[in-house]
Amino acid sequence: MQITTSQPPTVPSRPVSGLLSFWRFFSRSRTGLIGFWMLIIAILVAVFAPLIAPYEQGATTSVGIGDIYQPPSAAHWFGTDDAGQDVLTNFIYGARVSLTVGFFAAFISIVIGGVFGLVAGFFGGRWENFLMRFTDIMLVIPDLPLTVVIVALTKPSLWNIIFVIGILGWTTTARVVRSQTLAVKSRKFVLRARAIGASKLHILIQHILPLVLPILVVQAVLAISLAILNESTLSFIGLGDPSAPSWGQMLNFAFGRGAMSVGAWWALVVPGFGIVWVVLSLTLLGQGLEQVLNPRLDTHYLMPSRPAVQKEARAKPIQKDVLLDVQNLSIHYVGEGKAPARAVENVSFTLKEGELIGLVGESGCGKTTLMLALLKLLPSAGQIVNGNVFYNGNDLTVMDEEEINKVRWSNISIVFQGAMNALNPVRTVGDQIGEAILKHEPSFPKNKINERVSELLELVGIATDHLDHFPHQYSGGMRQRAMIAMALACNPQVIIADEPTTALDVMIQAQILELLDGLRKKLGLAVIFVTHDLGVVAELCDKVLVMYGGVTAEYADVDVIYNDSKHPYTQELLKAFPDLTKPKKKLASIPGYPPRLDNLPTGCRFAPRCPVAFDRCHTDEPALHLLQKDHIVSCHLVEASK
Amino acid sequence: MKSTSTEKFLEIRGLKKYFEAGRPTLFSRETKHIHAVDGVNLALRRSEVIALVGESGCGKSTLGLLLMGLEDPTDGSVIFEEKDITHLNDHQRKDLRRKIQMVFQDPYESLNPTQTIEEIVTEPLVVHGIGASQQERGERVKKAMEDAGLKPAEVYLSRYPHELSGGQRQRVVIAAALVLEPEIIIADEPVSMLDVSIRAEVINLLAELRISRQIAVIFITHDLGSVGFFADRVAVMYLGRIVEVGTMLEVLEKPQHPYTKALISVIPVPNPRLRHERIILQGETPNPINIPSGCRFHPRCPVAVEACKLSDPAMIQLSKSHQAACLLVSNK
Repeated sequence: MQITTSQPPTVPSRPVSGLLSFWRFFSRSRTGLIGFWMLIIAILVAVFAPLIAPYEQGATTSVGIGDIYQPPSAAHWFGTDDAGQDVLTNFIYGARVSLTVGFFAAFISIVIGGVFGLVAGFFGGRWENFLMRFTDIMLVIPDLPLTVVIVALTKPSLWNIIFVIGILGWTTTARVVRSQTLAVKSRKFVLRARAIGASKLHILIQHILPLVLPILVVQAVLAISLAILNESTLSFIGLGDPSAPSWGQMLNFAFGRGAMSVGAWWALVVPGFGIVWVVLSLTLLGQGLEQVLNPRLDTHYLMPSRPAVQKEARAKPIQKDVLLDVQNLSIHYVGEGKAPARAVENVSFTLKEGELIGLVGESGCGKTTLMLALLKLLPSAGQIVNGNVFYNGNDLTVMDEEEINKVRWSNISIVFQGAMNALNPVRTVGDQIGEAILKHEPSFPKNKINERVSELLELVGIATDHLDHFPHQYSGGMRQRAMIAMALACNPQVIIADEPTTALDVMIQAQILELLDGLRKKLGLAVIFVTHDLGVVAELCDKVLVMYGGVTAEYADVDVIYNDSKHPYTQELLKAFPDLTKPKKKLASIPGYPPRLDNLPTGCRFAPRCPVAFDRCHTDEPALHLLQKDHIVSCHLVEASK
Repeated sequence: MKSTSTEKFLEIRGLKKYFEAGRPTLFSRETKHIHAVDGVNLALRRSEVIALVGESGCGKSTLGLLLMGLEDPTDGSVIFEEKDITHLNDHQRKDLRRKIQMVFQDPYESLNPTQTIEEIVTEPLVVHGIGASQQERGERVKKAMEDAGLKPAEVYLSRYPHELSGGQRQRVVIAAALVLEPEIIIADEPVSMLDVSIRAEVINLLAELRISRQIAVIFITHDLGSVGFFADRVAVMYLGRIVEVGTMLEVLEKPQHPYTKALISVIPVPNPRLRHERIILQGETPNPINIPSGCRFHPRCPVAVEACKLSDPAMIQLSKSHQAACLLVSNK
């Protein structure tokens, strides 16, 4: 099978319409789905009322005094009310009134709230001041009493009620929409739209509105249920439109005309059930929509992985000064109904005391997964399916949570990518480092904590007087230093630094690299440095592991990697690097993109992008060839030269 | 590639931008200012590439926004094609935007996630009312996308940004700028969020465009290394000022300002046999509210002398194209 592609893996361009794909998303939320169908039933009942209702609305003919408050019977499934009318019929027609009020009143509130929120959030300044202060005032005034007063003063017609509920119910929407508008406004694509020359109106409609809309939909659903509740309350206290009998009015009549005293529970329970049904359906629907439209509510938590394969712990003879020995490690991500993504396969390396190894590869090549697996910090979908990680001769992959917890931080610690943004903004940096010490060494004498924290800060080049400062008083580089100090808190032997300098300036990057290099010399630390930047690695590593698509491409001493690399991927990566020692050399880029780990090509994973690939590369996966001491290459081409 | 014309078609004169950092309060009477851009002079020739280099907080991004008219300068002027474009009304500004376009740092953030690629690239044409028919617009969009390396354009049109890789997204951003056929592209850290393997792709693309479309590029970056030899000239910025400017070769091979020397020394060299002494400046760019006295670089300067604390050095002409502002530099 010949694969010739410099194209990215072709993602099927949306065959389904936006609405359909939205539905697919939405239908994953069970609560939302239940609410949706409950609402559909209510709407069907309201729309087809004349067809479903057993009697005509307001049929009072042939009603005698004996028909009042008749208990449920074959003729009247839910009995009769105070006027001898069929409760079920009135209930079905009442759905029309309640839903009408709900939808129209909510429409009014959403339009007002939406416009206020958008204008205030987008234009800011005077507009915002005026609109939001007005909103605040409206929020302070209790809705219901005001509604009661206004409705009592006006003619109690259905449309009056809708109008009053509508214009009093927009405040929450305005506030929510405003904050969402502010959030969207600060995003870079809005600045880009301005740079294009787009007018404010264009930006508002094309860029802000589509991202505010989801929130508006959720708000609308909630506003409908609020309006229905308000209408019921108004009707219950006798302020409803007598010509449009709603559920609230049914309650009002039943309550006011002695249903309780004659024990006619059905006259109260049935309309009450209607209100509860609709409000519940809307609440569930709103919750479901929010889960789909507002992904922040999605739960992503980092769960400790279960030991997938129960293996026997193998004690390994300790090689001299080898701290960490990773052997044939494979990690798969398994998902329901999906083929497992082979994120890491068959990766081996060793780490000696005081050694600095660089782990290099493009985004999505499995670097971070590999590092998380070393400490068994993989998310629950990630499983170690093969291989061992020996730390001082003990296999970490078979340890249980308690055992591995003793190794984490005290022996091996991690500085995560972007970790500097993970400091708690309301606590001082010293405090947070102190907490990290106590968490892992609960017996640490409390009175010596400050001393230890100062020592750590000094170690990473932060003056001790910054101990009591808050994270916002630190610059990006200092925060990253603080994170390194935290990683050093329990005197680990190994530090894993996952892209610690990626978001930093070159000068700060140089400072951090100098710091890490100094620390390993001073403390004998072994460091695993994860990066996509080959240049950084050349500056300070002893060994380099180049990964591609989850497998080892090449593993060798730093000098071999840069001056005698054998894998085409390593060679291409080096060519892509701007080398200022060679003027006028055109930069080469590697065409195409790394493979998706759930859709790997057959044969060599690099073959589709490889400039020297031949037939066999597309069919056979290359083995790991050991060329000389500690030089491993997975490429068919080295076979001949071996 | 030498520029074909030497005319200065964009000229920045004494440009300043101060942001208010706090109004007078009960406790302090003066209004503090952030001196983001503090007197920048620079000229750009047609189809020339200038790399604007400096650390975070040196004002390089603000300078880009000033040139785009997305911020209003406090003082100074910008001359474009012999017209003063410092203060324009909305209408004039909109016309100018067709000629000066911007590419932003983060291709993940600078595309609206709800728009398709076609909508994104067509949008500038809609905004400016360019193209009489749907077909004409379609052709312009297609050309811009293919020039930006999104070939064949049809494959990408109906996709959404999240379906593309980082490099492809940056190409979409560039296509959306190209579709207006600009004369200048201001690229604000266009590759710093991308993997090294993809950076070359975006830089090569910009290099091709300046040749095929005669576009001048202002390439804003904190990493001189990432520009490679793509730029014709380099301007090094520190704390709101340009401290050294010269051709790429002059600056790389004979840097004069100690700050430039330090910046060049920390560029990683991808060869362990060439590990060299690096000048690592300690600390970070000072707070631009309180600019140091004298030479603003003196507190971090490894070679500062007493005089540096007192007098603010002026730009010294070292060659026809090379200037540096340092007391220790002389033009003998």
